[in-house]
Amino acid sequence: MSALASIRCRRRSVVRTAGRYSPRQVGSLMKGSATSRGVRRACQRIIGLAGVGGCLALCMAAIPAFGQDTPDYFRQNCTSCHTIGGGRLTGPDLKDVTKRQTREWLAKYLLNPRAVIDSGDPYAKKLYEEARNVPMPTPPAINAERAQKLLDLIEAESLLEKSQFKGLQISTAPFTDEDRARGHEIYLGMRRLEKGGTACISCHSVSKSAALGGGRLGPDLTNVFERLKGRVALSAWLVAPGTETMQPIFRNHPLSPDEIQWLVAFFESTAAESPPDPSRNQVSFLLAGLAGAITGVFFLDSLWKNRFHSVRRSLVDANTARGKS
Amino acid sequence: MSQHFLDQFLFVALPYVCLFTFFLMTVYRYRVQSFSYSSLSSQFLENKNHFWTVVPFHYGILVITAGHLIAFLMPRSLLAWNSVPWRLYVLEIAALAFGILTLIGLVGVIVRRATSVKIRKVTTPTDWILFGMLLVQTVSGVSQALIYPWGSAWFATSLSPYLWSIVKLTPDVSYVVAMPWLVKLHIVLAFLTIGFFPFTRLVHVLVIPNPYLWRKPQVVRWYSRHTK
Repeated sequence: MSALASIRCRRRSVVRTAGRYSPRQVGSLMKGSATSRGVRRACQRIIGLAGVGGCLALCMAAIPAFGQDTPDYFRQNCTSCHTIGGGRLTGPDLKDVTKRQTREWLAKYLLNPRAVIDSGDPYAKKLYEEARNVPMPTPPAINAERAQKLLDLIEAESLLEKSQFKGLQISTAPFTDEDRARGHEIYLGMRRLEKGGTACISCHSVSKSAALGGGRLGPDLTNVFERLKGRVALSAWLVAPGTETMQPIFRNHPLSPDEIQWLVAFFESTAAESPPDPSRNQVSFLLAGLAGAITGVFFLDSLWKNRFHSVRRSLVDANTARGKS
Repeated sequence: MSQHFLDQFLFVALPYVCLFTFFLMTVYRYRVQSFSYSSLSSQFLENKNHFWTVVPFHYGILVITAGHLIAFLMPRSLLAWNSVPWRLYVLEIAALAFGILTLIGLVGVIVRRATSVKIRKVTTPTDWILFGMLLVQTVSGVSQALIYPWGSAWFATSLSPYLWSIVKLTPDVSYVVAMPWLVKLHIVLAFLTIGFFPFTRLVHVLVIPNPYLWRKPQVVRWYSRHTK
């Protein structure tokens, strides 16, 4: 009795569901396009709400970018290349920079260094050449107000005998083979970084890479020791990497002083070598991927060899086989 | 529009709009048009090239999508795997192989739909838009693998924290603003595809139980629009 009741109940449900749609609507639904006016109206409403939600998210997200403290901002974005009274790193010592150049020019340069260099400005060109053609990146979330605050900070710190941004005390003890080996391990990722930072091979290549070389999201690091003007500047740079890509990664996972020393030792050892040719690794990688894909197609074909092909072909094949026997 | 606001629009506002649309419309369509949750197979209309296009595409895209999900959900484990160079290379070559498999299958799917009159008749403009989006997305993904290796490593360190910042409602675009335009295109298109998802035949991915992966191959009949 209960089984019969269940069947009846199910049949009623099917009839009810099917009764909601005309045959044309069912056809349209099977085709997957939302055509009914009600659905269209609902879609419009939902997309409208999504738009409002998105705009709110935009406003919320825009606020924190401008809310950071100026000394913190300087420490996070400028100290990898500049000191205030500690001497030159990759970029110039900023002590009394407002006495060497007007605030107006400096503010303009801060907002878009690349544009000022490209405009042919002689002072910007001189800075660029002094930094061995390493262009200053545009500071993240910079605006006119932030630029003025940074210049105020530099002016105030320049008046002090010892600025908080004077820079690091870097050891001058000679590097050992062990330092270089550990640096190589850090580059490859075989030695984990204490604070959980990522291995250099993810984004950078170097002459002493493994079989298929290093990543190419960032520049080749074979001559980085020379490019950034040696031990002190490279160490300072690694304390707070200044590029927009590395900054967010190492902001929360900084390198330890030992790790910096090992990496600098490794990069010093590669400084005299030639950067690797990336095209060879690229071709090998592509060929390996293609071989894998072709193998995959054949594998799938053999895995599904008993699949349905066609009615006629199977009849012909069966008859041919029968004729032969 | 300044670069800052463009970045905020593309990597904060747009993702939320797309995710919002995805969740609401997926539920709404399932409640209102349950019948339309189907892949609308065209195997019955054309079976000769079906296998060589659909199967490589599906197995390729499934593995690639799973890889992206693993990098998003378990970035530390992925980085631990990559900490030995040969393991990194094996993973990257496998990912590239499945990416190429997806591309081969997708191009095949598009050519098959464009050249077969019967299948063209049942292909809607929405399908063509979706194919276009998937094609650009796959080409940009494979190109990235070749131009900017090693994606599995830098996805885990840069893109995973960005995606988590979106999930936690504290969007941090600093991880993506300096990425090359090809990577930015891939991210934006991924969110657009998620937003477009509930309006397309892609919804069949969500139908549970989903036996597509392990059931025996079968011929599926496509129901005509003018069924009586």
